[in-house]
Amino acid sequence: MSEMWVNMGPQHPMTHGLWNLRVRIDGETILEVDPEMGYLHRGIEKISEVRHYNEVITLMDRTCYVAGLAWEHLYIIAAEQALHVEPPERAQYIRTLCDELQRIASHIMWYAAFVQDIGLMSPFLYGMRDRDLILDLFQSYTGGRLTYEYNRVGGVRNDLPPGFTDRARKVCDWLVDRFKEYDQLCLDSTIFHKRCDGLGVLKASDCIAEGVTGPMLRSAGVARDLRKDRPYAAYDRVEFDVAIAHGADVTGRYLVRMEEMRQSIRILRQVLDWLDKHPGPVLASRLPRWLGAPYAPVGREGYLLKRNYPKGLGFSSIEEPHGEAQAYVVNEGGEHPYRVKFRSPVFSNLSAAPRYMLGYRVADIPPIMGSVDICVGEVDR
Amino acid sequence: MEPKELEARLAGRLGDSLLGVEPFQGLAGRVRFRPEAAMSLFLTMRDELGFVHLSCVGGIDWVDHREVFYILWSDALKQYVLLSSDLDGKVPHIETASAVWPSANWHEREAWELVGITFDHHPDLRHLLLPEGYQFQPLLRSFLLHEPEELEVKTRHV
Repeated sequence: MSEMWVNMGPQHPMTHGLWNLRVRIDGETILEVDPEMGYLHRGIEKISEVRHYNEVITLMDRTCYVAGLAWEHLYIIAAEQALHVEPPERAQYIRTLCDELQRIASHIMWYAAFVQDIGLMSPFLYGMRDRDLILDLFQSYTGGRLTYEYNRVGGVRNDLPPGFTDRARKVCDWLVDRFKEYDQLCLDSTIFHKRCDGLGVLKASDCIAEGVTGPMLRSAGVARDLRKDRPYAAYDRVEFDVAIAHGADVTGRYLVRMEEMRQSIRILRQVLDWLDKHPGPVLASRLPRWLGAPYAPVGREGYLLKRNYPKGLGFSSIEEPHGEAQAYVVNEGGEHPYRVKFRSPVFSNLSAAPRYMLGYRVADIPPIMGSVDICVGEVDR
Repeated sequence: MEPKELEARLAGRLGDSLLGVEPFQGLAGRVRFRPEAAMSLFLTMRDELGFVHLSCVGGIDWVDHREVFYILWSDALKQYVLLSSDLDGKVPHIETASAVWPSANWHEREAWELVGITFDHHPDLRHLLLPEGYQFQPLLRSFLLHEPEELEVKTRHV
């Protein structure tokens, strides 16, 4: 049979974002894969060079629009290192709280979209309903439901409102019960297993060679989690287990994400208990005055101002819901970073697409790509 | 691994091409090297020191020269290391890392189109995020955000 190229995207139910998956097929078999990115490239790294350190946080929410707080956290650790600022302990715990809530929100969003890809319609609605509870919690202390601008160099913007921890505990209790229902809907379904088992296999050695991280790597049996291996914020003071599976396939990735959400609830309960017992400041008291300036001079003029700017390099790496994200901030003095480089986990997970897609059928593309959990905003930046 | 220890182990392999290992934010170090020794450094890092995972490749424009950096992770040491090299000349270039770590492929394509660093012997050096035929390198300091550039976008596929 003759071979042909098929464009799946940029507008396609499978893509979940604006990108194009070009596949060369022979009948139903996939022979070659060429992901085509760039439709959402906004030049966030370039814009960061003319933004005040605190203004870059606004861009971070837009980098990954389902995990804004995790990306804020990533950037803020690197920026604080580059500016030699130390956040108070309570801010560290609040950031941990944000990260874990965001992880659950992101995984539920993934679950909702993924099960719809494989033909189960109703879990989508359950997923969106439960994610809304977490967005309500975000709204109660950041004011935003999608873009938060909550972190600041030296801490977080404001403390949690009264009664927050009790509300959050109720949401945790509710979600734990719902996770059981999610599993019943999927793992007890024959359709789910027929469409997911043994698909998109990427073995541990291939994952490591291709730079694949996050749930995809853990589903191959590698217990690698930066929260354990290189703890940041308050992760060295909470107890949790790293979720792993052994199939290295689509079902394995499902199992890892589900277990991760349960572990996140476990972390959240410990963090909420700590926050109840330890009131305190959430923003460092001694910050450089220029850091608080609402607007910085645009462009290079900022470097000419005679002020006492510190210099430094910052590097941070966090376990974002999709995998391992990194930020490298170069501070050459001045009110703007000289260069900011972000490493997106999905970028690498997607670049390995030829390894886990070749030889499967066209109808397998939605479950395989769904299991990668693609957020185009952070790939293109 | 401490920066001092890393420097001692690399010095034997690289000799003069190793410019130093600086301590850096809890990483195993910030290794500065001459671009000519790139391949032998990559192989040493992967095969002898266990840095099997390449996380990131990026470039920085320092106006008079460009810097390329690599971030590696070792599962055994549970540590990152940053490799950095200054590239001089009108066409800054360095040997590709994608033969050693396949994950470098896309990262190098990105560094090539955004910062203008050429990676020799790269298997597939073409545009990734920007449209084909785009003539500018947006992450250079000479690319100003406030001046509109003349741009004719060609479609990629006919």
